Amino acid sequence: MMDLGFALNSKRVLVVARRVVRQLKRDRRTIGLITFAPIFLMILFGYALSGEMSGINLGIVDFGGQDDLTDHLASVDDFDLLRLGSESDAEKLIVEGRLHGAVVIRDNEVRILLDGSSPQITSSIMTEVKTGLLPKNGLRNGEMIGGEGESGGAVNVASLGHDGGIGGVGGHGILGSDVGIGRNDALGEYSAVEAQSPEIVQRYVYGYDLEMMDSVGPAVLGLVVFFFTFITAAISFLRERTQGSLEKFMVSPLSRPEMVAGYLLGFSLFALLQSATTFLVVVFVFGVPMNGNPITAFAVILLLGAGALVLGAFFSNFAKTEFQVVQFIPMVILPQVVLSGVWWPLESIPAFIRPISYILPLTYSSDALRAVMLKGAGISDILVPDLLFLAGFFVIVFGAATLMLKREVG
Amino acid sequence: MNDGENSDPVSFEEYSIVAQGLQKSFGKLKVLSDLSVKIPRGTTYCLLGPNGSGKTTFIRAVAGLLRLDGGDLSVLGEPVSNVCRVYPRIGYMTQHKALYPDLTLQENMEFYAGLYGIEGARMSERISELLEMVDLADHSQRITGALSGGMYQRLSLACTLIHEPDLLLLDEPTVGVDPILREAFWRFFDDLAEKGSTILITTHLMDEAERCKIVGYMRAGRMLAEGSPEELKRLAGLQPILKLSVKEPEASATRLAAGGFDASVVEGELHVAIEEHRKLKEVLDLVEPLDLRLVEPTLGDAFLRLAEEVQR
Ligand SMILES: Nc1ncnc2c1ncn2[C@@H]1O[C@H](COP(=O)(O)OP(=O)(O)OP(=O)(O)O)[C@@H](O)[C@H]1O
Ligand SMILES: [Mg+2]
Repeated sequence: MMDLGFALNSKRVLVVARRVVRQLKRDRRTIGLITFAPIFLMILFGYALSGEMSGINLGIVDFGGQDDLTDHLASVDDFDLLRLGSESDAEKLIVEGRLHGAVVIRDNEVRILLDGSSPQITSSIMTEVKTGLLPKNGLRNGEMIGGEGESGGAVNVASLGHDGGIGGVGGHGILGSDVGIGRNDALGEYSAVEAQSPEIVQRYVYGYDLEMMDSVGPAVLGLVVFFFTFITAAISFLRERTQGSLEKFMVSPLSRPEMVAGYLLGFSLFALLQSATTFLVVVFVFGVPMNGNPITAFAVILLLGAGALVLGAFFSNFAKTEFQVVQFIPMVILPQVVLSGVWWPLESIPAFIRPISYILPLTYSSDALRAVMLKGAGISDILVPDLLFLAGFFVIVFGAATLMLKREVG
Repeated sequence: MNDGENSDPVSFEEYSIVAQGLQKSFGKLKVLSDLSVKIPRGTTYCLLGPNGSGKTTFIRAVAGLLRLDGGDLSVLGEPVSNVCRVYPRIGYMTQHKALYPDLTLQENMEFYAGLYGIEGARMSERISELLEMVDLADHSQRITGALSGGMYQRLSLACTLIHEPDLLLLDEPTVGVDPILREAFWRFFDDLAEKGSTILITTHLMDEAERCKIVGYMRAGRMLAEGSPEELKRLAGLQPILKLSVKEPEASATRLAAGGFDASVVEGELHVAIEEHRKLKEVLDLVEPLDLRLVEPTLGDAFLRLAEEVQR
């Protein structure tokens, strides 16, 4: 009964595809999920990733002498300032979690207290303090501050580090009393410098100042299609098995590859619909550039979706109920979300985990989609390794899924 | 290949299914143990047996869905390892309903028709014919999931018959079907068998078993008894019982026993086993009944008796 080598009967494949489309078409909820959920998700991601922060609670203990700085901090919209009388008050409020940080301003010194639990907030406070300390005609924001000048007030940073023992014993809070509050060397010392340092010029090779969304958008496009195709396919195949139809058409001329191929054909229609809506949001709402051929991008997405479908078919064999299918999300989807360079570059993933990244299809689709959309790459540019990997992944999992379907019945 | 009209009855083998010493265990549980069955072509063969006796397992083995631990099995002349070659000629109705609840009845039928390469006018014709047969023609555009249990079962049968199979494997096809339609189904099955189809059917209903040519009674994966319903009753040693109301049952019973009859008193009624019908007169000569009736044994009685014997 080894029929993997059989030629596919295209009529039967079409019969299955038509049935799949009819089923999905009738399932309004799923259609809605397929088309609108990505839009909703993209909009959420888009705003969450726009990089703007607000509502940072910053304490100020002002002993005078740095008017430029105080004025500047007051002018930053992101900061909600709270004026305090002493450094120990500020410390107390930080420990209580009511402030993200505090700036103690003296004539000859600026001390920054941070709760240190969010690198983004830390860097936002640091940037603004540095900006506020610069002479008015100084460096523009975004350029580097370098050198080890002696002049200006010393900026001392104290991090109320979060290594202070979450779960620390003995009744003291998250920040133990022995944590280096006020340890001036916690993050090293920053010194503001005068404007004589060499000017630094940045030039973007693709002539475009990428925002976070521009880099994430193309990759998320793949993620959305992968996620929904995987889940829908896994549940569909599970139903075939539990409702007995799989067993019934095992005893028919339909071969397993034909069945999977029929699903592929039927689902590809919806994957296209889905990627089209997501794509439109990414490009027209968030202004992510589309420098390459959209057809190339769709080809990548379809190839990825095909991989997700057969992976769903494969995993459906390990689930007995739809509830168990949902349990695959943390096992199959989450690692890809974290490890495949959708949100941050692969280079920032520790080297010993990176081999895993290299076997995840999303790694390659993200790379390919970025290349096509941002750099205008063509098929030949992304053939190796991206398309090759995605195709190989599909073929191998297709084979495995087909074999598993059989095993399950026996 | 499976055009009913030009299938030549002589060219088929004599037996549609030949099973010899089948063995199958699920883990430690022995589900088929040394099961041998031969099912002649054009027969309605009924598998009876308590829940879990292995009926479904045997049908799945015939369908090539099981890896057997031992034994020989051939289906429509093919060894079971090659059974996929005869799949176009098999109709398999599982104990599950195997329909897509989100499709209409028509769409479900079209799907199964398509799998067997039935299309166009032939398909429409076949579908309306079968929907008529299972009395669902008026519902063809309804969503399958909204059907009643019996309707579901009827649609499932219609889907199984779409390609006019030579061998029908029907696992409890009439569960939940009302008596009138059940009667119609059975007439249809008889019809198919007459035309040369082989029907292997499981049921828990004795009146259905009684309609089959051969009945096999399974228990714990073995074939306990096999034969026509009449043969089985004889095998179980069952005889018609003459039930009589008499004035003095005890005295009559003694008199009959003396005359060599198997007589007993049950709840004030005199019961006499009748080996042969001509013995009836002898009994009536010995007693003076106020009222009487002759009760023929049922297949159910036969199986109860057989089961008791096995227990001992
Ligand atoms: N895939 C399986 N895995 C484990 N055990 C199984 C499997 N299939 C069947 N069994 C067991 O084999 C035994 C026979 O099951 P089977 O379905 O053949 O019974 P059946 O005669 O059809 O019963 P019913 O009248 O209830 O339909 C049962 O004990 C069942 O639990
Ligand atoms: Mg059963």
